[in-house]
Amino acid sequence: MLRMALPTGRMLKQAMPFLEAAGYAPNEPLHETRKLTVPSKCGRIEYLLVKPVDAPLYVEQGVAEVGVCGKDVLMEVGADLLEPLDLGFARCRMVVAGKPEIERKLDNLLSPVRVASKFPRVAQHYFLKKGTPCTVFKLSGSVEIGAVLGLSHYIVDIVETGTTLKENGLVVHEEIAECSARLAVNRAAWYAKLAEVRELLNNLKQSVEGASHD
Amino acid sequence: MRGPADQLSFPPGTELVFGPQAARRQFISDRIAEVSRGWGFTEIILPAFDSAETFRDLGDETELYNLVDREGHTLTLRADFTLIAAKALAMELRRERRQIRASYEGRVYRFAPSGHGHRVEQTQRGLEWVNAAGATYDAAVLMMARECLNAGGAEDAIIVVGHGGFIHAALGEKGRNERRLIEALDHKNPSRIAQLAQRVGLDADTAALLGSLPLLTGGPEVFKNAREFKLNAAADAALSELEGLYRLLEEAGAADRVLIDLGEVRRSDYYSGFMFKIYHEAVGEELGGGGRYDRLFDRFGMDVPAVGFGFNLARLAEATSRNGYAGTPPTAIASSGGADALKKVLELRRQGKPVDLKGDA
Repeated sequence: MLRMALPTGRMLKQAMPFLEAAGYAPNEPLHETRKLTVPSKCGRIEYLLVKPVDAPLYVEQGVAEVGVCGKDVLMEVGADLLEPLDLGFARCRMVVAGKPEIERKLDNLLSPVRVASKFPRVAQHYFLKKGTPCTVFKLSGSVEIGAVLGLSHYIVDIVETGTTLKENGLVVHEEIAECSARLAVNRAAWYAKLAEVRELLNNLKQSVEGASHD
Repeated sequence: MRGPADQLSFPPGTELVFGPQAARRQFISDRIAEVSRGWGFTEIILPAFDSAETFRDLGDETELYNLVDREGHTLTLRADFTLIAAKALAMELRRERRQIRASYEGRVYRFAPSGHGHRVEQTQRGLEWVNAAGATYDAAVLMMARECLNAGGAEDAIIVVGHGGFIHAALGEKGRNERRLIEALDHKNPSRIAQLAQRVGLDADTAALLGSLPLLTGGPEVFKNAREFKLNAAADAALSELEGLYRLLEEAGAADRVLIDLGEVRRSDYYSGFMFKIYHEAVGEELGGGGRYDRLFDRFGMDVPAVGFGFNLARLAEATSRNGYAGTPPTAIASSGGADALKKVLELRRQGKPVDLKGDA
């Protein structure tokens, strides 16, 4: 049996149809349960329900052999794990946004920029690569306000449709990465449970291909 | 200044082990040392730091612990054993060109961000076999690694074998310097590999092979599966070499729990031939690894083929912790003053038995 770290909340809702189509329906509805672990009906998977940001760590440390992780979270956490399948759902873009009138070219600015983000590590790394000094402020939510009220020049955040940005009078300046849910696999489990992991990977792959044809 | 009420503590990531865990670590270390001696290896004791030059090739210099000596030279805390051992053995080889078998144990220091449970201070035990060319030595090193795992109580561990030369050839001239492409291979991320292969402008054959590397893991069927791709001459030669090594292990009866992973890329620039990593299902991260590095001595102006490996003792101990290592329980002896109890202790110690002496105070 494989243990799968599964993020609660919105990600769980989107993941469920894929997992069910792949033959891994849980023993009881996961969004209602207060249990931390729930087996699948087939007995091949045990779901471990965790906060989205914690999922990569459980997989990296081998507490769960596999997990469903958002690419945004994987980038921020920087966990050392395998990423053999793009599950295709929870699509969004990680972007640098700000007011439209602000300096657009971000390379090698000589004065430090202020950046607010729920993803401080991603933000720091991105501006470092650009050669632009920056001060990063970690926020836990409503990041847009950072740029609107002048806490920061820019924000680094994920956007799906861009509606929230627009409503707040902000625009996307640069795209950092395209994000979506990924199947993450622990490095030791990839070898130690080769057959089981391969079976799961193949079943999920079919489930993803089925979804993209709909 | 700290007041007496402050908690005592060490910096995050440092290694502090005591009691049963330390006993298990010592037990494992002793077993590996015995295996090394059994194969004719001699212990080498190496400096804890050296000039920064020695560790320059390790890649990310932000991981190194540098210090400046009183004369202004930059020194680096030992970040890797193979590099510093190679330098020491090069000195020996200049004196006399011969085969050397050296084993070592000690700590290495690499910075790691907190929050992942990674240690900056890690104890390694390993060995270097210098002036050892050919598949027999490759197989022998893998057999020794297995013997160490068995002796230390990690019989279930899996040895995963890849080939540095194969990766080098598969990436081709264009792919070789693409750090992001190698990163995508390291994470076994086929969609990212495909995306980058296109962006870099790799030809279709190369892109197809690279995109399939994540799944070229498994038993000997992997060799056949890899041959279904169009391989260049260098990749084909490396693949044949690795297959030859696997067959040799099979014939010698040492291919048990050995897996092939043609997509293994970590430090593939460092290993010229086969390379391997050791995993155990009880531990999320590798227990150790090694391989062949025939160009290691180039920097000293020498052409010396070499193989070797190292274990991370903390992780190896973690893998064996379920086996509940227990030493012989000691005999309790209480003294009520005078020499009687001490005499008894002396007698037991002469027989080599453990004692637990309680004083009369």
